[in-house]
Amino acid sequence: MRISAIAHEAPTIDEVETDPDADAVAVDGGEDPARLEALAGRMNRIVIRFPTFKDGRGFSLAARLREHAGYEGELQAAGDILPDQARHLIRVGFDAAAPDELTPAWERAATRPVRVYQPTGVDARSAAAERAQAGRARKVASLNVLFKDASPEEVLRHALADKSLGRIAALSSFGVESAVLLHLIAEIDANAPVLFLETGRHFPQTLQYKDALIERLALTNVIDLAPTPAELARHDAGGDLWRRDPDKCCDIRKVRPLSEQLRGLDALITGRKRVHGAERAQLERFELVDGVIRVNPLAEWSYEEIEEHARLHELPQHPLREMGYLSVGCWTCTEPAKTRDDPRSGRWSGSEKTECGIHGKPPEPELETSLS
Amino acid sequence: MYKYDAIDRALVDERVEEFRDQVSRRLSGELSEDQFKPLRLMNGVYLQLHAYMLRVAIPYGVLSAKQLRALADIARRYDRGYGHFTTRQNIQFNWPSLIDIPEILERLADVEMHAIQTSGNCIRNTTMDPFAGAAADEVEDPRPWCELIRQWSTLHPEFTYLPRKFKIAVTGAPSDRAAIRAHDIGLRVVRNDEGETGFEVFAGGGLGRTPRIGVKLTDFVDGRDLLAYLTSILRVYNLAGRRDNLYKARIKILVESMGADAFRDEVEATFAQLRGGVHLTPREEIDRIRSFFPPPLAPANDVAEGSAPSRPGFNRWLLRNVAAHKVNGLASAIISLKPIGGSPGDATADQMDAVAALAEKYAGGEIRVTKEQNLVLPHVPRGYLPKLYDALFDIGLATPNAGEATDIVSCPGLDYCNLANARSIPVAQAISHRLSADGLSDQAGDLTIKISGCINACGHHHIADIGLLGVDKRGEEHYQLTLGGSGTEDAAIGQIVGPGLSGENVPEAVARVVAAYLELRISASEKFSQTLRRTGSEPFKEAVYAH
Ligand code: SF4
Ligand code: SF4
Repeated sequence: MRISAIAHEAPTIDEVETDPDADAVAVDGGEDPARLEALAGRMNRIVIRFPTFKDGRGFSLAARLREHAGYEGELQAAGDILPDQARHLIRVGFDAAAPDELTPAWERAATRPVRVYQPTGVDARSAAAERAQAGRARKVASLNVLFKDASPEEVLRHALADKSLGRIAALSSFGVESAVLLHLIAEIDANAPVLFLETGRHFPQTLQYKDALIERLALTNVIDLAPTPAELARHDAGGDLWRRDPDKCCDIRKVRPLSEQLRGLDALITGRKRVHGAERAQLERFELVDGVIRVNPLAEWSYEEIEEHARLHELPQHPLREMGYLSVGCWTCTEPAKTRDDPRSGRWSGSEKTECGIHGKPPEPELETSLS
Repeated sequence: MYKYDAIDRALVDERVEEFRDQVSRRLSGELSEDQFKPLRLMNGVYLQLHAYMLRVAIPYGVLSAKQLRALADIARRYDRGYGHFTTRQNIQFNWPSLIDIPEILERLADVEMHAIQTSGNCIRNTTMDPFAGAAADEVEDPRPWCELIRQWSTLHPEFTYLPRKFKIAVTGAPSDRAAIRAHDIGLRVVRNDEGETGFEVFAGGGLGRTPRIGVKLTDFVDGRDLLAYLTSILRVYNLAGRRDNLYKARIKILVESMGADAFRDEVEATFAQLRGGVHLTPREEIDRIRSFFPPPLAPANDVAEGSAPSRPGFNRWLLRNVAAHKVNGLASAIISLKPIGGSPGDATADQMDAVAALAEKYAGGEIRVTKEQNLVLPHVPRGYLPKLYDALFDIGLATPNAGEATDIVSCPGLDYCNLANARSIPVAQAISHRLSADGLSDQAGDLTIKISGCINACGHHHIADIGLLGVDKRGEEHYQLTLGGSGTEDAAIGQIVGPGLSGENVPEAVARVVAAYLELRISASEKFSQTLRRTGSEPFKEAVYAH
């Protein structure tokens, strides 16, 4: 949190309402939230004044701006505020403060780490989430011991038939290696939800292949996840984001739609394998990513095993496979693989990028985080 | 009972350290009393008539034997050897010195207790049915939900500077022993058709200057969404509640001025934004908290037999002070802190120690504090009741008057409180003597009398069959009499029947009301409120004033 002695100069809400170019506003904590939210979209800076430290309306006004209106600009608290309130100001969404009385206690208060019980709109940390996370981490560790030598079928049966991991879905790219996992799933439960990230940039061959697999395996519950038109319009109006900022492009086309879906899930089955190398070389059968258990039944299978299984069950091949593609994503960002040993080498080739972000990094369990 | 983990522990320890620093800054003069005031209030430290008063939260009224012993120890070491249990299921120490308070808080932290948010305009300790987990009519034990609310509301970043204090009450049963509709938010545990736990939610109840009965906001909110729903109510209140007038700042005034429907719409609109997001409680957390509250076990056979009591009066105590339990062979025993002529809610350090020992010996080590200012041992094997009675008798805690007229609820009043208009405790003592003298209390059976020393209504006089409110009449202590209040399912606010009474006339006036009831009731099973409804207040008014 940035602390300053003097509050930002900003026009009043009356002025801002008649000035379409204004991008900053100063209001009292008692301002009508609906009125402020109506213009928050074009603001870069909002100052909320506290007439007295006891008047807590500014806390809820800030929470509404962040949580209801999605305001992402600067939010400054000004007026009669106490250093003892710094922790609260930060957690409801203020990122700047200009107290009437700027004492040394302020600097300490604004950087002091605090422990918290409850999540807020801008800070999802909570004791409950931390404990749930720790509990799931323990569960994942014991699952890895329990299923150490189990076959992919056994892992999947545990996850799908016994429902022992809670609400679960599979994630599939309907790429060159996808058929085997989908086949194993269909054998156990053809109604299991299968998520497909519809980026709008897939090869037509991928979409054809998807239809073919759905038919062959009689999958009944394949769900397309797509970015909202509003998100696309906001971040990628020109359609060239993949070239300018592929991380951001994957974020809005893949990461966000998936994490939206993951809120309602306890576990997700993926087809990742150790042989993919790089970040995946140490892959466990069960892992914890952002609080969701990832199940990777094929983690330890080799290409030979995969191909053997596909042959045995006469599973159809991805049309691009013949053309040398070993890993297929969006057509804009995929080339044929460079070598057989690194099948993902054709993804985002010519850049450092190797993962799209949907598989995250398992977070460190944390007890304490600085709020500054 | 809930047990702190490292996170709970660290949170409380941080607060103790912070307050230690603040107290030393106050004692050295670095902080003025003015600057210190909001800081001490956040830690439950009030400045009363004679001294600092420390109010300690008893989380939703549940204590372990170890915690009760720690309270006894504090009473003995830092106070004058007793504590006062309040109508909010808290305990107050009236005589600690400021310099000792950090040490007291540290001792409390050692037994997983604190004084955080026992004062100030924030979310206070949750009120709960004292028979939770034991009551025969319960849908589900509400304790895990109260613990969830405790954690959520502690140091809440958005709701620590509300227009006014804020109280939540929870019951797990259809019969309401937590006065949920007399609280800012009232929650009743219900199950939907799928068997999932949720809550029926009321808001806008409250006593004080403008007593109101809470209105229903929803029939069902899923348990996992409870915190999102509470956040929605509090957010609407925090933004729209009045701040210009102390007496109009409670949520009940907002609900009334907006209208229940408009208020509900605002809450629902906010809830639509919040539901399912970060405020959703993980299933694991609910399961984790639930695991601390296993259902009580039926007693072993050899306990079921029991022995004969050796002290007199057991049967009467059994009738008045023992409640049915959901598990066969168990019972809940009410320990009355209302000896005839005593100071309601007070317990000496020795009595607290003794109750702690009895709870361990006969009742699984758990004690509850009720809003009627009594204690409850929730799970006593029936076979132990005679022995328990004998032991309580010997320490003066076997008064067989739970729920009857001498079980008087009273706030501290003018003897301690600097807001009071009149004394409460001496009046309670005089009434108690008067009603027990000729057996009026006995004959009347269930009947509630509650006394508040001023309009803040800490004594809950509005929801008593017979309520007394201390008023200042040209510098003299007077008492306004109200009849017909109720804090249960048929919640109602008592009505004033006539002019105020002077202190010395109160005991006789109350005795006449009770006598009139005995005369008017059709049978012993007709309750006071039923008689009053049938006859109207006229005959009672006559009994009091026509002399
Ligand atoms: S793979 Fe390329 S086009 Fe597809 S989402 Fe990522 S950056 Fe965008
Ligand atoms: S009712 Fe009034 S006198 Fe009694 S404790 Fe509350 S504030 Fe004090």
